[in-house]
Amino acid sequence: MPAPSISEEDFHKFREYFYRKTGIQYEVSKRYFVDKRLLERMAATDNALFRSYFTMLRFQASGEELQVLTNLMTVNETYFFREEYQFKCLVDSIMPHLVEKKRDQTTLRIWVIPSSSGEEPYSIAIYLLEHWADIHNYDVEIVASDIDTTILTQARRGLYSDRSIGQLPLPLLQKYFRKSRDGYQISDELRGAVEFTRVNLSEPADTRPYRNFDVVFCRNLLIYFDDLSRKTAAETFYDALKPGGFICLGHSESMSRISSLYKVVKFPQAIVYQKPTERQP
Amino acid sequence: MPLIKPQRSPDAAPARELERDCASLVISLNNPSPVTRRWAARDLADCPGSSGALVARLGEESDASVREVILTTLTRLGDAAAVAGLVQCMRSDDAALRNEAIEAMKLLPDAVAPIMRDLLADPDSDLRIFAVNILESLKHPDVELWLREVIERDPHINVCATAVDLLGEVGSAAALDSLYQLKARFAGQAYIVFAADLAIKRIQQD
Repeated sequence: MPAPSISEEDFHKFREYFYRKTGIQYEVSKRYFVDKRLLERMAATDNALFRSYFTMLRFQASGEELQVLTNLMTVNETYFFREEYQFKCLVDSIMPHLVEKKRDQTTLRIWVIPSSSGEEPYSIAIYLLEHWADIHNYDVEIVASDIDTTILTQARRGLYSDRSIGQLPLPLLQKYFRKSRDGYQISDELRGAVEFTRVNLSEPADTRPYRNFDVVFCRNLLIYFDDLSRKTAAETFYDALKPGGFICLGHSESMSRISSLYKVVKFPQAIVYQKPTERQP
Repeated sequence: MPLIKPQRSPDAAPARELERDCASLVISLNNPSPVTRRWAARDLADCPGSSGALVARLGEESDASVREVILTTLTRLGDAAAVAGLVQCMRSDDAALRNEAIEAMKLLPDAVAPIMRDLLADPDSDLRIFAVNILESLKHPDVELWLREVIERDPHINVCATAVDLLGEVGSAAALDSLYQLKARFAGQAYIVFAADLAIKRIQQD
C-alpha cells in the first residue's frame, strides 16, 4: 500500500475549508507546513486516505479533530511588539479618530483579551507613551483579561525572557526594563498602568461588567473557538464597546465571517472593525 | 502619568440592579430600547423554554444586532421549539433571515437530525435546497446517507444538482450506485450528467 499523501487537489480543498472555518489562509508556499500536519493527524486518527480524514474533520459531531488540527496549524506565541502594524494603527489612526469624535475629556478605555503573559497590553502602553502625541491630553485606561490565573500572575509580575523582548528596539528596552538575573523586569510605572483581570469570554456573568470601551484588542483567540462561541464573543464585544468603538483582531481573523454587526474600516495600517454609531435598520 | 488604572476594576462590579428572572426577560424582548432587547435575548440563553418567545420576537425584530443575538440564543437553546422557529425562518421572504436560519441550523446537528428527512421531503423545492445547504457543514454521520436519498428520489433537478455537488466532496464508494441512478433519471440533463460523472470520478480516485 502506498504511503499516505496529499494531492494538490486535496491541498486546495483543505485550504478552502480551513479558511472558511478559521479564517486562516495558507499560501501555496506553505504547502509543506500544511501537508506535514495533515499527514501527522491522518496517522494519529488511523485514516490512510485524505478523503476519509477530511470527511471526519468536517462531520465529526464533537468537532474535536478540527480543534486539534487548528491548534497544530497555529503557532501560539506572544512577544513584545508582535504584529506591530496594529499598534501603529492604534496611535496613528484609531486614537486620533476617537479623539476627533470626542466631546469631552473623559478617559479613553482599551480592553485587551486575552492578556496572556502581558506582552500585548504592555506593548500598547509603551506604544501610546512613545508614539501618541495626545497622550498628555487624555487619560487612558488599559484593562487586560485572561481566563488563566497563572498567566495573569505572570503578567502582573512582568518578568520576561530574551525571546519575549527580542523585537523591542534597544532604547525602549533600556527605558522600560531592568535586566535582572531572571530576565527582563518591566518597570513599575508600566506594571501600575495595566489592570489585569480574570475573564472567561464565554461566560456572560464574567463579561457583563465590561462596558464602555473605546478599543478592544482580541488577537489570535477566536481562531481557537467554535462557530457558536465566536458569535457569542462578537456579541459580547458589541456590548462592551461604545458606539463608534473599534475592535482589532489577529491578522488571520475576520469579523465579517463571524458577525454582520460591525462595519469594516480600512485604515492605512490595518483593517479593523467598528461598532456602528447609529442604529442599524 | 496619563495611563491610569480604572477607579474600580470591572471584575469588582456590583451585582445587577434588576433581578433577571425569565418572565421579566421575555417581557423585555419587547422593550422599545434595542439595547435592552439585546441583553434580554442574550440572558434568555439561561432560560429553557424561552425559544417560543424568541422566535416570536425574531419575526418582527428590525434591529440587526438584536436579531443576531436572538439567533445565537436560539442556537444555544437548540431545543425542538428553537429548531421549529428556525425552520419557519427558512420559509421567510427575507433572504437575510433565511440565510441566518440556515447558518444557525448548521450548528445544531443533534436537534436538526430528527427532522432532516422531513425537510428534505418538503413540498417546497426551495426549502429542500436550503436543507441540502444545511448539510454542507452539518456535523452528523448521516450526511452522506441523506444526500444519497435526495439524488435517488428527489424529482427536482435543482435540488439534485445541489446535492450531487456536495456528494462529490463528501461521498464514499457507497454513493456510486445512487450516482449512476441519478444519471439515468436525468439522462437528458447535461449538467446533472456532468456533475454526477465528476462526483463518480472523485470518489473512484480515492
